Amino acid sequence: MIHVSSSNVIIYIKKGIVTMKKQAIALALAASMTATLVGCGEKDSKETTAANATQAPGSTDATKATDGGNTTTTTKADDGTKAEDPDFVNGKFKETKKIRVEVYDRSPEGGTDAGDNMYTDYIKKGMLEDHNVEVEFVKVPRWTEGQELNNLLSAGTAPDICVTYDYPTIQNYANRGGVLDMAPYLNDYKDQCQNLWEWLGDTNINWNKDPKTGTIWAIEGKRATANRVVTFIRKDWLDKLGLKEPTTKEEFEKCLIAFRDNAEKLLGDDADKMIPYSVSYDVGWRAATLIESFIDPNISDRDYYVNGFDDRKFTEPGTKEAIRLLNKWYNDGLMWKDFALYGADDSTEDNNMKAGFVGAITHNWDYVFRNGDKSINAELKNLVGEDAKFVAIDPFEDKNGGHTKFVTSTAGDRKLFFPATCKEPLACLMYLDWISDPAHIQYLQLGEEGVGHEKSADGKYYITKKIEGGNKAFMNSGSNIDLTITCNGLRLATEEATVLTTANSYAENDPALVAAADKIAKIDMRHDKNVAVGAIESEDGQGQILGDKRTAAYQKAVVCKPDQFDSVWDENMADYMTSGGQEIHDERDEAWVKTYGDVSSLPQ
Amino acid sequence: MGAEEIKPSEPSADYGLPAKKLKGHKTGYMRRYWQLYAMLLLPVVYFIIFKYIPMIYVQAAWKDYKLDGTSIWNMPWTSKNGWKHFIDVFKNKQFHQALRNTITLNLLDLVVGFAVPIIFALILNELRMKKFKRTVQTVAYMPHFLSWVVIYGLAVQLFATNTGIVNNALEGMGIPRIGFLDKEIPWIIMYVLIGIWQSFGWNSILYLAAITSINPELYEAASVDGAGRFKKMWHITLPGIRPTIVILLIMSIGNIIGSGFDRPYALQKPLVLNVSEVLSTYIYKIGIVGSKWERGIAIGLFQSVVGVFFLLTANALARKLGDRGIW
Repeated sequence: MIHVSSSNVIIYIKKGIVTMKKQAIALALAASMTATLVGCGEKDSKETTAANATQAPGSTDATKATDGGNTTTTTKADDGTKAEDPDFVNGKFKETKKIRVEVYDRSPEGGTDAGDNMYTDYIKKGMLEDHNVEVEFVKVPRWTEGQELNNLLSAGTAPDICVTYDYPTIQNYANRGGVLDMAPYLNDYKDQCQNLWEWLGDTNINWNKDPKTGTIWAIEGKRATANRVVTFIRKDWLDKLGLKEPTTKEEFEKCLIAFRDNAEKLLGDDADKMIPYSVSYDVGWRAATLIESFIDPNISDRDYYVNGFDDRKFTEPGTKEAIRLLNKWYNDGLMWKDFALYGADDSTEDNNMKAGFVGAITHNWDYVFRNGDKSINAELKNLVGEDAKFVAIDPFEDKNGGHTKFVTSTAGDRKLFFPATCKEPLACLMYLDWISDPAHIQYLQLGEEGVGHEKSADGKYYITKKIEGGNKAFMNSGSNIDLTITCNGLRLATEEATVLTTANSYAENDPALVAAADKIAKIDMRHDKNVAVGAIESEDGQGQILGDKRTAAYQKAVVCKPDQFDSVWDENMADYMTSGGQEIHDERDEAWVKTYGDVSSLPQ
Repeated sequence: MGAEEIKPSEPSADYGLPAKKLKGHKTGYMRRYWQLYAMLLLPVVYFIIFKYIPMIYVQAAWKDYKLDGTSIWNMPWTSKNGWKHFIDVFKNKQFHQALRNTITLNLLDLVVGFAVPIIFALILNELRMKKFKRTVQTVAYMPHFLSWVVIYGLAVQLFATNTGIVNNALEGMGIPRIGFLDKEIPWIIMYVLIGIWQSFGWNSILYLAAITSINPELYEAASVDGAGRFKKMWHITLPGIRPTIVILLIMSIGNIIGSGFDRPYALQKPLVLNVSEVLSTYIYKIGIVGSKWERGIAIGLFQSVVGVFFLLTANALARKLGDRGIW
């Protein structure tokens, strides 16, 4: 029953409550509030003591962050006693330790439980046998991992081994006293974690070492391959139109124009769906090699670093001209008109490629081969025709005529850290060592013989076999990279086996095409160098906001009218800089000068 | 739009209470209706657990939030006498932008959208065919149950610049395509219109309920006096639902710098970020994604304080103008 005078009734009731036993209710409320407050206080203080206890684990070192949060001192008590720890002999604990390890959850079609499947069982069993450590996996959704980790850490419930791609975030946690210093463990137990040291090496372990205090908040997982982005083009279309694979921007543009002008011939009734060149909402990634080709290949380390906060190279010198070219193509009808309307995780663009409407794309070097019979090339073959396929090309020449690709070093991939709430840092370290053992990595990457792979006839490499969704041996991430947290990319005993196996690891795809893409991705690589100048405070927490601004700026500059390009670009760049970009730029330059002096190159 | 927050059916239970009899026996009142109070217990517990206990952490707005297990009570105060986070926020350009957008979009919602459910309720009330009336009513409610992600999907299908049906039709008629979703001004218009479309049916429920309880004798008397439909609408229906309108208006004004999260977040895209970033999405990005929790809390607190201020002002104004207001 609803009444007209809902308002009257509310007032009526309110008055009733007010006049009636005001004190009693107030008392009751106050009592319940105090009760809950007390409850909370107790819980908090308990947690505090627990955390304190674990920070100085019956061991030698305690990490102490001062109130300011930025200055951190590591106090170490007597060295050496640890190695003789009676509870820890030959890498094995006397008493079973329990640790929780973060694992990305991608929930793929037909996948298994990311935290409980035959591969996690393999790890659990191995860890228990080798180190007497019980492992529990904590699932974190892959595409919102940053936010999830933020929540877990702020609530004090983060896993004991955390994984993330973003170092400034870890620095932020560390400033708030939320991260354990790994340096003492890594050094004191070097002998017990040789697999880790051997695989990651000095570079990746000391990559984030603070030059002043020597703390290591996180170590860097290793990329087995630095391959990043290449361009793909529809080979069958080129053949139909009698065109060669383009090797310069000019030739590439001619191909796009030819696609546009011959839409009828190439697509028949679907001619209006023709997209000569497709990018997504993330222009900076999806035109990466084009953008990089406009950056001076000999740009100094200092310039590259100082302008390098944005990982889509928005602020690097040269980028503007690359986007100007995209703007021209966009206005000439050579690009996907509605790219800006679809966000991450949207399959519209993939479907356009699979349906055969797209002439060329720039994307991750293996993008069109991923996913077996659901891969873009396999679907093209099914939907369009036997000869329909994307092949890798390298059409964007830089000013020296090379094809420089700015790629990360072996570091710059996933970062591993122990939050301050981690009670068993040593057991966690043993986990990192165990997971870096080549035998363990190989098993996780290839699966069981006969199920996940076969040996090739000459015995030189392995042929990975497609494991259907629904199968218990299904890998939830490609080659189980989410489990091999110290290793991203195939890592086998020999280089040759790795290369050959890589080419054969894309089910339903021609190994020759994969090998060609792999080769192109490696041409003229320029690796990131480690600029160790300590934390840049103004970067703290800016990633998302500035990233959004950059994405918007790229999009606006691509879709505006050519005569407005300069004003749109300059306006958005100014907005980016005043929103924090300039501060970061200046602080980076200052830090550089402070560490290396007024020079333009890193010391050799 | 806050309309759901009123639960008129709850208090109606003790409507027609013999108030005189209970005078001086207030404990008897509670004992007599203890079942009702027992039923109230659950919502009260809910509010305590999910609304009051979290308030302990409001103090983080003045503190340096630590992750090392320190209790919130022991975390250190920030510099600038504890106001660092507030000062940082108010100096921040993006915050100004978000504040401006929030107010603009909410004002537009209020100005353009507030009257729509009232008009709809009035029109629906005049319909005489019951079946038709009910069908229209149900159809109008439905968008309220769609998730905003779905609504954005629909909007893209209809209004995308180069593939949307509407734009295809426009081009067919020789009118140039319009960037409904990727140009700033058209986006604002679409934001408001889509919002109205989604909620007017649902928001009209309260008005319809109010209308049904107007004394029918008033209409009869007016008919006898020779009043037509519009006269009756103007002199009986509208005054009859006036208290409801005032209450909802006060609540909307109280919400002028607050806003839901789903609608702006689902509809905003990078191309229109300058006009579509509102406080709720900004708090999410800076607080939860950017892990500047304290700033997020500070902005949220600011929102609440300003909201309460508006609410009280609007309420006082309403009372001054002769209406009853919320308190």
